[in-house]
Amino acid sequence: MQEELFTSGRHIPNIDPSLEIWHWPISLYLFLGGLAAGILFFMGLITVLGKEKEYPTTVKYASIVPPIALSVGLLALVYDLTHPLYTWQLYTTVRLESPMSWGAWVLLITTPLSFLWVFSNCSELFPKWNLKFDFLKKFESFLKQNRKTMAYALIPLAIVLGVYTGILLSAFNARPLWNNAILGPLFLTSGLSTGAATIILLSKTAKERHLFGKIDLALIVIELGLIVHMLMGMYAGSQVQLEAMQLLIGGEFTVPFFGFVIILGLIIPGILELLEVKGYKIPVAVPALLVLIGGLLFRFIMVEAGQITRFLY
Amino acid sequence: MVIDTLKCVGCSDCVVACQTENNVPIGYCRDWITETVDGSYPNIELELKSERCNHCENAPCVRCCPTGASHIVEGGIVLVTPNECIGCGACIESCPYDARYQHPDGYVDKCTFCQHRLKKGELPACVSVCPTKCMYFGDLDNPNSEVSRLLKNRKYKTLAPEAGTKPHVYYLI
Repeated sequence: MQEELFTSGRHIPNIDPSLEIWHWPISLYLFLGGLAAGILFFMGLITVLGKEKEYPTTVKYASIVPPIALSVGLLALVYDLTHPLYTWQLYTTVRLESPMSWGAWVLLITTPLSFLWVFSNCSELFPKWNLKFDFLKKFESFLKQNRKTMAYALIPLAIVLGVYTGILLSAFNARPLWNNAILGPLFLTSGLSTGAATIILLSKTAKERHLFGKIDLALIVIELGLIVHMLMGMYAGSQVQLEAMQLLIGGEFTVPFFGFVIILGLIIPGILELLEVKGYKIPVAVPALLVLIGGLLFRFIMVEAGQITRFLY
Repeated sequence: MVIDTLKCVGCSDCVVACQTENNVPIGYCRDWITETVDGSYPNIELELKSERCNHCENAPCVRCCPTGASHIVEGGIVLVTPNECIGCGACIESCPYDARYQHPDGYVDKCTFCQHRLKKGELPACVSVCPTKCMYFGDLDNPNSEVSRLLKNRKYKTLAPEAGTKPHVYYLI
């Protein structure tokens, strides 16, 4: 038996007894970033494939979501900084070793692009708005002509953004729960899935809903597989990883993780979407909302639980 | 830095000296004492040691810092530049020793090995006040320095070597 305690006393705010450095804004951002990445990816893909006319929601109405999600997410990120007046220091250097650094740069490119995309649809989205100035109208038609170029840029950017939300966590070997290579693809899949769910929610045509229902179903299956991989990897890992896994299996996060993320957030919407694909009449908003809530809770649980896991003490 | 766990009595002088020397805000500390009890009575072992930032060679905090505020200076000391730190907390998350904290002013703070004293040719505050003289500070690159000789002649360990950080605080056992 080994027992370790601080005889000099140590109760540093937010550090002891377990880390609470990253709070709800980080979880919220990880969710919104993934969601935005998902929508941007589908938006870009459909534009590149030249199917804008068939899937109008994705390229038009749903495209309003990413700029809002990214703006709220970025505000949340800055809100969680403790030295926020120095945020500009992020853009004085490129540090390839730090996921947060290249995440900041990717966001710097992606966020304006997502705004420009909405602006390229401005006259269709908001027909009552009158673009008073000539140069604004010219700018809009210029953007419209170059939409395909933007789409080509958005696809890789969206993938990087989606992976980055996971890599941000998995880069820390001091937090065994996060430190696995599968977290990047897992968060990307979850982000794509929440993006597809948002498109389903906003969609007005049955064809579009049907397509994204299928896509979402495939993504849910992949995500479940990746979660199993993650747990298996930790199960076969070192002592600290075993202890980390025990938080999710048999520990304090078991009920929220399995109950809300796995069952309510993945399996039930998966079954509902499968039934829908088979032709049963299912209100599609139900699985879509479940996926969204499950995705949000997944981020919260991973951020909270990860900070409990540590090497010493 | 080399710390002799057989000589340490856990008096916390190093902790107080550090807090005074570096104006560490109340409630925070850059170093601390741990008491590890191993085994059960009557086969019981007690180990006392003073812990702090390990000034790792492969420092995860430096690796993940997005602005370069965390850096390694000549001699291997890991430092934070307050005016470059945005307070994102990535370094705190990345430290297996939980040796960093967010200063109430916002930036991240940690042990500096009392760099300001070293420049004057003095020892770090914790080393200089230790009543049992259980701490040794010196140049590990110099094979004739006291710390190098201690590591050559005595058994030692580092904390959480499995984290792969190559820590530079050694504990004689």
